[in-house]
Amino acid sequence: MSECPVCGADISLASDTVVGELLECTDCGSELEVTGLKPLTLAEAPESEEDWGE
Amino acid sequence: MRVGLLHSLIRKEEKLLLEAFRQQSVTPIMLDDRKLTFDLESVPDIDIVVERCINHSRAMHGLRLFESLGIRCINSSDVARICGDKILTSLALKEAGLAQPPIRVAFTEDSALIAIEELGYPVVLKPAVGSWGRLLAKVNDRESAEAILEHKTVLGSYHHSIFYIQKYVEKQGRDIRSFVVGNECIAAIYRSSSHWITNTARGAVATGCPVTDEIASLSVAAAHAVGGGVLAIDLFESTEGLLVNEVNYTMEFRNSIDTTGVNIPERVVTYVLEQLK
Repeated sequence: MSECPVCGADISLASDTVVGELLECTDCGSELEVTGLKPLTLAEAPESEEDWGE
Repeated sequence: MRVGLLHSLIRKEEKLLLEAFRQQSVTPIMLDDRKLTFDLESVPDIDIVVERCINHSRAMHGLRLFESLGIRCINSSDVARICGDKILTSLALKEAGLAQPPIRVAFTEDSALIAIEELGYPVVLKPAVGSWGRLLAKVNDRESAEAILEHKTVLGSYHHSIFYIQKYVEKQGRDIRSFVVGNECIAAIYRSSSHWITNTARGAVATGCPVTDEIASLSVAAAHAVGGGVLAIDLFESTEGLLVNEVNYTMEFRNSIDTTGVNIPERVVTYVLEQLK
């Protein structure tokens, strides 16, 4: 269990979560990145850049 | 068998690929492009790199750096270089004799305006490097063309002064996204929208598209034209037949597995592991 760095909502993650994974806070809708697993840490996901894509 | 997954953010596609690797008893070595450094000499203990970066520039250069160390990459840096630049993609398609919408390339506002008027309105201005339907401009008349060209020149970064101009193709509200793995077109979807931009990243709806012989052969030919591997091809259905719009080298497929009934990540992983035999 961790908390959303934007709104403070409790966030629990699936057992197969990996570092770098993107997720969305169900309370505030912020896009978050998992930055660590032990302990579980979250950060706001980076803004998209010009050369992002497929 | 040591598979490196070159990545940055882990999106749904990367999670699905990781799971597909696990199904094959392979645990990929995670290569976060935000943490990597290269000294041009040290060879990592990896047999093959699967590229899943979100940044084109990091993908292209990262792949080239791994290749210089003798590591096979899927896709190759050449494929990334060509697919990441619409001008290079159009050249590859042209050199392979494949149908694509008429295009012009120009380097200044004045010459771009001449090129647009040669093609005839409407046209679509696209950044040579860019994705997800961002910064596309449908230009319907000269006044719009002058304004957009000026804005791109004044406000854009330097590569927005390379003007890639594509004749607008009336596509009846949809295009086709096909998926090629090696020598096979494994699946296709229609992407439908009331907006002229039909990227699913922009809200287009995906539905199943039968892989006809025409779709399969053109898709595989387009994939081979850019160097081959694991590629997603965007096709327009025009009155003259299918046209290749774009070729994508870090394909997104989250909306296409249930839609097509094809386990795309499994097919990709099988292909990757076959390259090591």
